[in-house]
Amino acid sequence: MSAIDPTEVFRQEASELFEVLEGALLDLGQRPDDRELVDSAFRALHTIKGSGAMFGFDKVASFTHEFETAFDRVRKGEIEPTQELISVALAAKDYIRALIEDPQSTDDVIGEAILDDLKRFVFSDQPAAPVAAIIEAPSPAPAERKQAGWHLYLEFESHILRNGSNPLDLLEDLCKLGPCFVVPVTDGIPFLDEMEPEDCYLKWDVKLHAACDKGAIDDVFMFVQDEMKLTLSPLEQVEAPAPAPLFQLLDEEPAADVETPAPVVETPAPVEAIAAPAEQPAAKTEPKSETKPETKPETKREAAPARREEARQDRGIATVRVQAERLDELMDRVGELVIAQARLTQLAASGSDLSIKVIAEEIERLASSLRDTTMGARMVPIGSLFGRFRRLVHDLSRDLSKPVDFVTSGEDTELDKTMIECLADPLVHLIRNAIDHGIEDTAARAVAGKTAQGRIELAAVHSGAQVLVTVKDNGGGLNTARIRAKAEEQGLITAGAVLTDHEIHQFLFHPGFSTAQTVSALSGRGVGMDVVKRTIENMRGSIDLSTRPGEGTTVTLRLPLTLAIIEGLLIRVGEGRYIIPLSAVEECVELTAEDERSRGRNFLNMRGNLVPFLRLREIMSSSGTPDQHQKTIIISTGETRVGLVADQIIGNHQTVIKSLSKLHSDVTIFSGATILGDGTAALILDVAQLVALAQSKVEKQHISEAA
Amino acid sequence: MSSDVTEPRWSLRLPADCSIAAIRSVYDLIRDAFGRQARIEIDCSSVDKADVTSIQLLLSTAKTGEAQGRPVVLKSFSQSLRNTLRRAGFASEAMIDQHFPQKKDGT
Repeated sequence: MSAIDPTEVFRQEASELFEVLEGALLDLGQRPDDRELVDSAFRALHTIKGSGAMFGFDKVASFTHEFETAFDRVRKGEIEPTQELISVALAAKDYIRALIEDPQSTDDVIGEAILDDLKRFVFSDQPAAPVAAIIEAPSPAPAERKQAGWHLYLEFESHILRNGSNPLDLLEDLCKLGPCFVVPVTDGIPFLDEMEPEDCYLKWDVKLHAACDKGAIDDVFMFVQDEMKLTLSPLEQVEAPAPAPLFQLLDEEPAADVETPAPVVETPAPVEAIAAPAEQPAAKTEPKSETKPETKPETKREAAPARREEARQDRGIATVRVQAERLDELMDRVGELVIAQARLTQLAASGSDLSIKVIAEEIERLASSLRDTTMGARMVPIGSLFGRFRRLVHDLSRDLSKPVDFVTSGEDTELDKTMIECLADPLVHLIRNAIDHGIEDTAARAVAGKTAQGRIELAAVHSGAQVLVTVKDNGGGLNTARIRAKAEEQGLITAGAVLTDHEIHQFLFHPGFSTAQTVSALSGRGVGMDVVKRTIENMRGSIDLSTRPGEGTTVTLRLPLTLAIIEGLLIRVGEGRYIIPLSAVEECVELTAEDERSRGRNFLNMRGNLVPFLRLREIMSSSGTPDQHQKTIIISTGETRVGLVADQIIGNHQTVIKSLSKLHSDVTIFSGATILGDGTAALILDVAQLVALAQSKVEKQHISEAA
Repeated sequence: MSSDVTEPRWSLRLPADCSIAAIRSVYDLIRDAFGRQARIEIDCSSVDKADVTSIQLLLSTAKTGEAQGRPVVLKSFSQSLRNTLRRAGFASEAMIDQHFPQKKDGT
């Protein structure tokens, strides 16, 4: 077992918090009035700050503190979170991330500039603010004016300090509301032997002499309200005005006197201040006997703690953080187990010992459920990936001055974590293309009678054993004529060749093909779509384009759920055995004598539709005579269907995918290999390549027939 | 930390970082000091980072010392530690003295 580096744990946690923060900030741009978003952003910031300080990232803590302070007016609802403000906040988030991940790459000047920007936006209306405050101050409800302040009793949960929260900051925030008398309650401090030094034992008894409303106090404890017990009761009216605080923030007591209205308070102040600590020894034996029973605490939170504690405990055991490579290792082991189990099953089937057969079946069942459980453990909601693109869209939309509404759906759809990692780059390309090429500029949209704001939808949905991920824009659609002209110019097709629109669009996936008239930093260099296609096909997926002129383009990615173990259809061609991914199989039919007679044309009549087929014996150059009753397996990628003619369909097979060595990298029709129960290897057919091969054969046939 | 074993008292200087990030090691130091048969004197002059955990640890140290009849002398509170104490509500010298009866300043 390797020791866990706490700094690394912090980095991981921070990375998750950054996602939350970024998501909240971006959402805030859409829904500026949503208080929950502001709170969520602040909660993330607060935790980053606290944990940062705890793990020695002092710069992170101090910058985040400044960030929090500047952003505080948004939290208080005093200013609207404008787009400009959100952009600066996002830049601040990036800076904090850099401070954590690569502190060497950062410069304090950048941080200061960001804070200056932030303050500029936040305090741009500052001259007006004090006026508003002065106007508001004398006019609270009469009932509130009578109130002298609040009596608070603060009791934090023991783990609160470990979470990065700092009660002293909260007390400081409380003091900002008005003169505060803070008395620490130390009777909970244990002896050294019983102490957990990181736990919180101190409690506080606070008298706040300010006629603020309860909401203002709740705001102070907003982020820790689930982790504390706050007992709040109104202070009774006292004859004299609020006494001067014994201590205000830091060491500024003399200056504060200027604003406190009456010198009369000089006398009561020390009395109360000194009385409080003097009573402390008595409080040791009889804790809170004076304050607690007589106050009428507003205990709306008190009823809930037990329930909350339960919920937290549930959450505690609900998730465990596991290193990704351990899951990979586990998957490898399960793969080996599945192979060994297949061998056992085969051995048991060939023998006559019934007890072995029973055990083999039992192990098969267990291996199968272990496989499913392990694969389930590797599944990650695709929403974790989608979240990243919101920032991309936000930034591109700003840089290109194309307002874009980015909508995601199906975030809960789960995919193998390896697939999620592989999917990030292709989706970046597709989304960039959608904004740069797909969505028209505002003027063009106005001419077309569209709304100024473009729309990009990123969706994921389960479809059988596959996941469909679609990127859909409501831009101008593909310019088929321009793609065709470009293809002709590049010599990919002859002028005048008859091609469907769908076929023409496929040129977009050709290496080096770009119709962009200008090359920008974003796209137009012709690298991208071919890479996207290759990446998706390497994941045993497929990509499909559909477009409507003037209405937009939809790119659909079809992906298998996992890259590790798949359900396959085991077939025999000559002496060799091959696997076809079951997700690509539509149906199996016998090759009829009529189909056989149409040799040379290689088309099947499938309920009225002509489907081209490939004879695998020819492709594999199998020797010997073919079986009498040949079988055809109809496979499909997207809209295209192709038949594969084999000698025998053996049955379904749990296929543990083993990648082929580099020596086989030029063999395109196989995507991998697997080990069968008898220890021999079977190659896995690459469906996308076979479909492409069949199509090219059809085209050749067309050409030769035309000639 | 420095310790002086030639005298019957055990003198311990707290490290600069007494915040939650380092409090466990400070706790171990103090417990270690309690394990010795000597008077304990804790020098807080170098404390540069302090928080709630530092205050709690000192309170517990004073409480434990008192219970065991081995007064623990806390001396030379640094400015940083004082600030933290103030922020936690130990607002006056009188109050600090009350919780840390064996506090000694200056020396």
